[in-house]
Amino acid sequence: MTHANLLSPPSQIPPPTALALSQKAPLILSTSPTSSLPWPLSLLFSRETPESWTIHENLFLSALRTGDEASALTTLERLEARFGEHNERIVTLRGIYNEATAQGNADLEKVFDGYEKILREDATNMSIRKRRVAVLKALGRTSDAVTALTALLTNSPTDAEAWAEASELYASLAAWGQAIYCAEEVLLITPNAWSAHAHIATLHYLSSATNNTPNLVSLAMSLKHFCRAVELNDSYLRGYYGLKFVTSKLNALLSEASSTSLKRNTQDDDDVPVPSIETVKKLEELATSKLAGIVRQFKSGKKGWMGYDEAEIIAARELLDRDAKAVR
Amino acid sequence: MGQPVVQTIHRDPALFWWILLPITVVMILTGILRHYAMTLLQSTPKKADLPKIRQQRSLTRGVNLRANANVISSSSFAARKAYMVQAYQEGKFLAEPEQRGKPRPNPMSDPAAMEGMMGMMKGNMAMMIPQTLIMGWINAFFSGFVIMKLPFPLTPQFKSMLQSGVGTRDLDVRWVSSLSWYFLTLFGLQPVYNFILGSNNAANQVSQQMAMANGSGGGMMGPEQDPDKLFLSEAENLEVLEHRWILEGIEDRLVAKLAAVSV
Repeated sequence: MTHANLLSPPSQIPPPTALALSQKAPLILSTSPTSSLPWPLSLLFSRETPESWTIHENLFLSALRTGDEASALTTLERLEARFGEHNERIVTLRGIYNEATAQGNADLEKVFDGYEKILREDATNMSIRKRRVAVLKALGRTSDAVTALTALLTNSPTDAEAWAEASELYASLAAWGQAIYCAEEVLLITPNAWSAHAHIATLHYLSSATNNTPNLVSLAMSLKHFCRAVELNDSYLRGYYGLKFVTSKLNALLSEASSTSLKRNTQDDDDVPVPSIETVKKLEELATSKLAGIVRQFKSGKKGWMGYDEAEIIAARELLDRDAKAVR
Repeated sequence: MGQPVVQTIHRDPALFWWILLPITVVMILTGILRHYAMTLLQSTPKKADLPKIRQQRSLTRGVNLRANANVISSSSFAARKAYMVQAYQEGKFLAEPEQRGKPRPNPMSDPAAMEGMMGMMKGNMAMMIPQTLIMGWINAFFSGFVIMKLPFPLTPQFKSMLQSGVGTRDLDVRWVSSLSWYFLTLFGLQPVYNFILGSNNAANQVSQQMAMANGSGGGMMGPEQDPDKLFLSEAENLEVLEHRWILEGIEDRLVAKLAAVSV
């Protein structure tokens, strides 16, 4: 697990880390970084460093996550006192606070109206635009959120975060084609992100899983992207998990296809060649052995192998167990 | 007998306290002052409006697509290419579609560009005024003093650098005049400023001049460039791009890698 650190928090903070971070609040809030002395002296005796405001911002977010709204408010007020209420970033933080403390939909609507007002004054405030999408999502108006997000993306098509969010939203609406398109845009901005590859692979797999007849091309695409994710990061648990999952599906399909001598020609003219059954089998073996290795190392608590999420390890073990039962 | 005579000059020790030290301290303080003056004078960069942002980022998207095209399948790439090329050629992303095909206005008449130039002027002023003043001050009070002796020998080429203001032909190069000390501190104090002000300071005029030489000409969407032309050339680049999918045959590649590892 990554060490809890307020200066550079990991992008995904597991709940215990967030709790550990927010528990530092009393200590940080007990000393003010700005000096209370009058002007010329305050310059000399201030303990303010550029880091202190990063710490405040991260503390604010952690405090909100753990429900410590009093500390969050104190932190926010300090930030507002330092940078002014109309600073773009502070406005966003204030919005986040309002969203987090909103009771029911009526409050959220009010926050939403506030965002609309800010955007009428300054249409280029991208973070407020993103908050607006988040509120729409929280209100359950997913299609509105998609509309707002596409408006944001027309104006700022190089925003990987926004594309990823659009992909998630489309996926939640089961619009797989659009979801995959957006995920591919993410990939175009960050071409070596294995998580982005795994995300596309998952979308391809889901799109084939929701169809009644399993789609060989989607599965093949999914396999390819999982392979790429694993190629980029050869200890990527999620990639191996997906690889095993997809290869077992493909295995069943391909052996079925060969036994019933299904015409493969219909697939061959597409631009995604379906892999041969031998390759799929080998990949499945690879994924199984790798997954087993990761699970074993995690169990034994070896140093350097503890970076995995425990839930993912449990899921991987379950998949392996299921497989073992099927063999037996 | 060939030994050159070692020149000895008896200097008043007060020279150190009243010339060398003041010049050094004044130079350091000027640098710090200049840093804070620059910070105060800096105007916040003007915010671009939404169509401008869109124009710039759409172009970046095209560049991204071209640079990273090999991560997506050929059909996805073809679809994107068709869309982007058409949109670029129609000028769909232009901030000012009505300006298309017209010659760009003179950058001098553009208020935004003028503001940038004003900023540069301010920077220049903040460098030049203190320099002129201090050099005048040194010339008026301390010209012609020999204030220190370097502890190592130097070739005669350094004479003009170390003894400006002292018109003595036979003086050993190791003697440094006050005016030369000023120049040495002017160019050599950057590490001191880094130590006092942090590495991103605006105290040294040398780094400033460098930034100016690089900064003003660059920028992908400078005011002097026609965005329409940029879009058209990007469309052309996309048209001629040869697409190779990196995921082609990845399964076999991975199997081969596995075999190589396990052997």
